[in-house]
Amino acid sequence: MSAPAITPVVVRLKLSLLRNGLRQSGGRRAAYIASAVLVLLFAALQLIGLIALRGVGHAESLVVLLVAVLGLGWAVMPLFFPSGDETLDPTRLVMLPLRPRPLVRALLVASLVGIGPLFTLCMFTGSVIAVARGGAAFAVGVLAVPLALLVCVALARAVAAANVRLLTSRKGRDLAVLSGLVIAIGAQVVNFGAQRLGSSGLGELDPVAGVLQWIPPASAVGAVHAVGEGAHGTALAQLALSVAALVVLLALWSRSLTRLMTAPDGSTLQTGEKAVRERSASGLARLLPAGRTGTVVERSLRYVWRDPKTKAAWVTSLAIGLIVPVFNAWQGTGSVYFACFAAGMLGIQMYNQFGQDTSAFWMVAMTISTTRDAYAELRARALALLLITLPYATLVTVLTTAMLGAWRRLPETLGLSFALLGAMLATGAWTSARFPYSIPQEGHKNVAPGQVGLAWISIFGGMIAAAVLCAPVIALTIWWNLSADGQDLLWLLLPVGTAYGALLTLLGLRLAAPQTARRLPEILTAVSKG
Amino acid sequence: MTEGTQADGAAVRVRGLWKRFGEQVAVAGIDLDLPAGKFIGLVGPNGAGKTTTLSMVTGLLRPDQGTVEIAGHDVWRDPVAVKARIGVLPEGLRLFERLSGRELLAYSGRLRGLPGAEVDKRATQLLDVLDLAGAQHKLVVDYSTGMRKKIGLAAALLHNPEVLFLDEPFEGVDPVSAQTIRGVLERYTASGATVVFSSHVMELVESLCDWVAVMAAGRIRAHGPLAEVRGDAPSLQRAFLELVGADGRDASSDLDWLGGGAR
Repeated sequence: MSAPAITPVVVRLKLSLLRNGLRQSGGRRAAYIASAVLVLLFAALQLIGLIALRGVGHAESLVVLLVAVLGLGWAVMPLFFPSGDETLDPTRLVMLPLRPRPLVRALLVASLVGIGPLFTLCMFTGSVIAVARGGAAFAVGVLAVPLALLVCVALARAVAAANVRLLTSRKGRDLAVLSGLVIAIGAQVVNFGAQRLGSSGLGELDPVAGVLQWIPPASAVGAVHAVGEGAHGTALAQLALSVAALVVLLALWSRSLTRLMTAPDGSTLQTGEKAVRERSASGLARLLPAGRTGTVVERSLRYVWRDPKTKAAWVTSLAIGLIVPVFNAWQGTGSVYFACFAAGMLGIQMYNQFGQDTSAFWMVAMTISTTRDAYAELRARALALLLITLPYATLVTVLTTAMLGAWRRLPETLGLSFALLGAMLATGAWTSARFPYSIPQEGHKNVAPGQVGLAWISIFGGMIAAAVLCAPVIALTIWWNLSADGQDLLWLLLPVGTAYGALLTLLGLRLAAPQTARRLPEILTAVSKG
Repeated sequence: MTEGTQADGAAVRVRGLWKRFGEQVAVAGIDLDLPAGKFIGLVGPNGAGKTTTLSMVTGLLRPDQGTVEIAGHDVWRDPVAVKARIGVLPEGLRLFERLSGRELLAYSGRLRGLPGAEVDKRATQLLDVLDLAGAQHKLVVDYSTGMRKKIGLAAALLHNPEVLFLDEPFEGVDPVSAQTIRGVLERYTASGATVVFSSHVMELVESLCDWVAVMAAGRIRAHGPLAEVRGDAPSLQRAFLELVGADGRDASSDLDWLGGGAR
């Protein structure tokens, strides 16, 4: 096969794959067409919006940010949706006698086919129209749009090729579980960002855009704006940066392609790298108490890091627990009491403890013979949780008070946080024993079919109960805040809240332990449906 | 160690065991005495109730009715004495797969209250004997079926139980791993311990066990020393087919067109 002939072949291959994929089922075809229409509608609206932005002050900052976010999206997509494009997997072409250079060209052209690139093209075109001022700027724009698009596509391809071994392995599937999380947290950030922009105007973006306009592919659009401003030197530098990025990405992609197609697949071979981790892990074990407590704490912490579902839940809690109070404080609309959100979010991790074990809970059940065993097990799980939660909730609270400059309120907020955390641990332990449910290990679902009601009772019943349990501390806070001589007593809420939280936790564990010990087979049945 | 079992010679005593799942009766009244120190096979076709029975005997599933005693201790009233004396390898339940093989053994040994140094010593030996030393730092989620069965067996043996319950320990296991498992189990019973394992592969049961219980449709159809259950039949397979009443089913009259000749 001669080199120039490959490109149309690969493009046709991509089109056939697309067509055949759609031919498989009507539902899939409908879904594809619906999503295509939606994406194109969205793109058209955005395009109109961007054109309307033309002439608005600071529009270039928004546009640069948009292009940068799109570029980031292209970089991240292949990691989360690896099965989206079969031509993305170069190992499928490994048996064909192809040289890297024409192959790279062919694959690059092929990846320009699809809804994603079309959407990106619309965005970039709109961006250029929004910021271009004058004929020269439009001329540069004609160059900048395809350049930025190529950088995006090359970025996606380079990332995918570099990680293809990862993406086809178990680790890749683990990563896919985390993808929903990135979207959830991203949505939070975008939400807060939009609120902030709505309240204080696009000028807020200027410092961010100042940095981003030098990063490809945003630098290509930055160049269009710079030409319009008459800063030809800046424009040239920005364009050159995008071109350089494209060249570097293509070179990297080509290199990993060559390596992929010539080196054996190492994913099934045994490696020695795990031994290093083993040593560091036993370092952790030395710090923990012996017996069931240390053993369970160690396993719980390992699972936070290694189990994709547990990790996703934790990262969501950590991120949202930070974002809500801190972003609100940053906007100046927040109250220090929002800091309690961190404790509440993290406390949720105590819920459905045994469901997090999946059917492996039998290994725990086989070793619990008495209420004391069950108590030690639950206490150790609460301890593992506190090891992360306590410093984190403190950090978030201090950060929030610092941003609001309300240092005087730090003790009471901390006290409330700890009381809430204690209440969450207590109700979490009890509902874990009383209302366990399965967490399916595959996919994005977090509740097994048929157990949704159980999960709702467990989580929302528990949270309401936790709020009610916290009522005395909340009432005390309100009372002391309102009464004239209560102001001087507010610092007392820190020791009171902490002691109350600790008491609630101990009480919750005490009540949950006999339930757990008595209901072991029932819990096992409930958590084995995933 | 075996004082409880030697008193009456029964390692496991089951009386009137019942379990229903909705309409379906999974176990329909089992009475059984399993002798101590023997290699015992629980055989039966798929769906006979073997897993349900073993789950109830080991305390992982609550029976609707009936009692189970292990070494003279009631499974439901005296879990302290029972859980320390038994080792279990269930079928269809996960392990803590995000631990490495060695971490899993360390975890389960310490959870059972053994001193850490002793757990690590035993784990090293078990990993060696079971041919898992090379994969001990790999996560169990990346193990093959045979490796999972072996690490599960190691976890079940770690605390040196009196009675070992294995549900389909050879299912999906390659011949090399199967031989390794066999060797370990034979050595274990030779020291006076009891193994109870379930299987639907008669040849395997015949070659391994000295005592069998045949189960079908939730009931025990026959039990006793292997020779007794086999009786006059040429193999356990034949005897089993006679017992469950599947012997007369001969396929030769139907499917007479089958033979790879003319179409």
